[in-house]
Amino acid sequence: MAKEVVRYRKATRALHHVHTAAFVVLFLTGLVLFIPQLGFLAQGGWTRLLHRIAAVIFVVAPVLYVLFNWEAAKKGIKEAFTWGAEDLNWLKAAPGYYFFNDESKMPPQGHMNTGQKMWWFIVLVFGALFVLTGIFMWFLKDVLPAASFQWMVFVHDVAFIVTGCMLFVHIYLGVIHPLMTEAWKSITKGTVSAEYAQSHHGKWFKEASKKKPKGA
Amino acid sequence: MATAILYDSTRCTACRACQVACKQWNELEVEETTNRGTYENPPDLSANTRMKIKFTEVPKNVGIDWLFTRRACMHCTDASCVKVCPSGALFYDGRDGFVAYDRDLCTGCGYCVEFCPFDVPRTERNVITGLSTMNKCTFCTTPGLNRIEAGEKPACVTTCPTGALLYDDRDKLVAIGKQRVQTLKTAGSNNANLFGETELNGLHVLYVLEDSPDAYGLPVDPKVPGVAIAWKDVIQPLGWIMGGVTIVGLGLNYLVARQAKIRKEQTVKKEE
Ligand code: HEM
Ligand code: SF4
Repeated sequence: MAKEVVRYRKATRALHHVHTAAFVVLFLTGLVLFIPQLGFLAQGGWTRLLHRIAAVIFVVAPVLYVLFNWEAAKKGIKEAFTWGAEDLNWLKAAPGYYFFNDESKMPPQGHMNTGQKMWWFIVLVFGALFVLTGIFMWFLKDVLPAASFQWMVFVHDVAFIVTGCMLFVHIYLGVIHPLMTEAWKSITKGTVSAEYAQSHHGKWFKEASKKKPKGA
Repeated sequence: MATAILYDSTRCTACRACQVACKQWNELEVEETTNRGTYENPPDLSANTRMKIKFTEVPKNVGIDWLFTRRACMHCTDASCVKVCPSGALFYDGRDGFVAYDRDLCTGCGYCVEFCPFDVPRTERNVITGLSTMNKCTFCTTPGLNRIEAGEKPACVTTCPTGALLYDDRDKLVAIGKQRVQTLKTAGSNNANLFGETELNGLHVLYVLEDSPDAYGLPVDPKVPGVAIAWKDVIQPLGWIMGGVTIVGLGLNYLVARQAKIRKEQTVKKEE
């Protein structure tokens, strides 16, 4: 069997799946309030109740993860906020790679490539926005001046549009794109082949093979 | 053709028969209240009180002046609540143009509560589950309790003993209202005005007032909140476009990338 490299530990994968499930429920139960033609599905408000249940999971799951995996969480969050010149080069080369399979200009990537980092950054920032505005709309509706509530719905909706579109991109790259052959495996089984790691995350692969292999 | 209700504050004695009639006809529960040192009762609109007479006390040299207003949905032509309602529970009545409400369609989101420039809709909410349903004046068009369809006047108008409430063609009522304002002005009320003729493109509830609207606690220049426009007319259509472009873009990418991959595999094979 070809050599396998650990990419995501079990706890990380579990968080990913639980959070995704919560997000998809939040997305769909939000969508019925966004699309007037689907509004009838929300009659009686059961989708809004579901939205709240999913919201609790959406908040509690990462909090538990951070509490029990403090080191990994710290490392992961740092990753989302570490940007350099390489990232610019990646962005320039990315269209050539993702459309035309031209790998020649792609700079070797760390544990996360620039695109993944962008999504991860959006998840953190917009996740926080969702939680903040959501909590206000949920619990402080009666206390909040109407004008503030209006802005909360507005921001919540902007976050919905941005993350919703990016979610499509994320799922597409993870599951459908012809070149991302092992992305799905990395998040379900936790490992990728040495070959895949080398070509997709060269920098990380080098470091990981020097040290004892250990995913985030 | 639009119809409307005209409320003449100067003819209102605040007997509140209209409040009772509204509750009775619309089968709304009675609320227990406490003495707050005013005849005004109940203190506010609620999920069980769709309309009430509001008392504003203006101090005079001796004693006070009472300014009465009717607190209920104004049935705006440009209704913020209709704009933000996600399920079509609030909609414009096709025949008369006032703002009808189908409680069965309500999701309980409460957006209408936060966006109404007159602070009218009310909900009874469970804070934890968020479950609620809204209530507001339906112009007596609640399905099953539809007086208008049956050729009747709204319950409040039918009951009013002083002629402070009228129900008729809107144009006719505007004319009557203007005439009454003129009479008031002649009698010395310089600030007398007809509220609702042009506000929000015309309200379907008109007020004859003897003082400026803010003296009654009414908004002087009510508007659809800017956020509602930015949200519903800018951000949401943009969201549709972004979503569409994303999906189409990903589809195109798939077609191109798959071709590129196949081509590369073929060249690799040839080299071998
Ligand atoms: C902790 C997280 C969240 C909380 C507490 C929360 C809470 C809320 C609340 C209170 C509302 C107002 C409607 C209602 O009362 O039911 C709402 C609406 C909405 N939420 Fe969330 N939410 C959260 C996360 C999300 C996420 C992750 C998404 C999407 C991916 C989302 C999408 C929406 C949408 C689309 C709406 C409707 C906005 C509209 O009417 O256009 N929410 N949310
Ligand atoms: S007064 Fe308020 S509830 Fe009535 S139609 Fe206007 S915005 Fe809607």
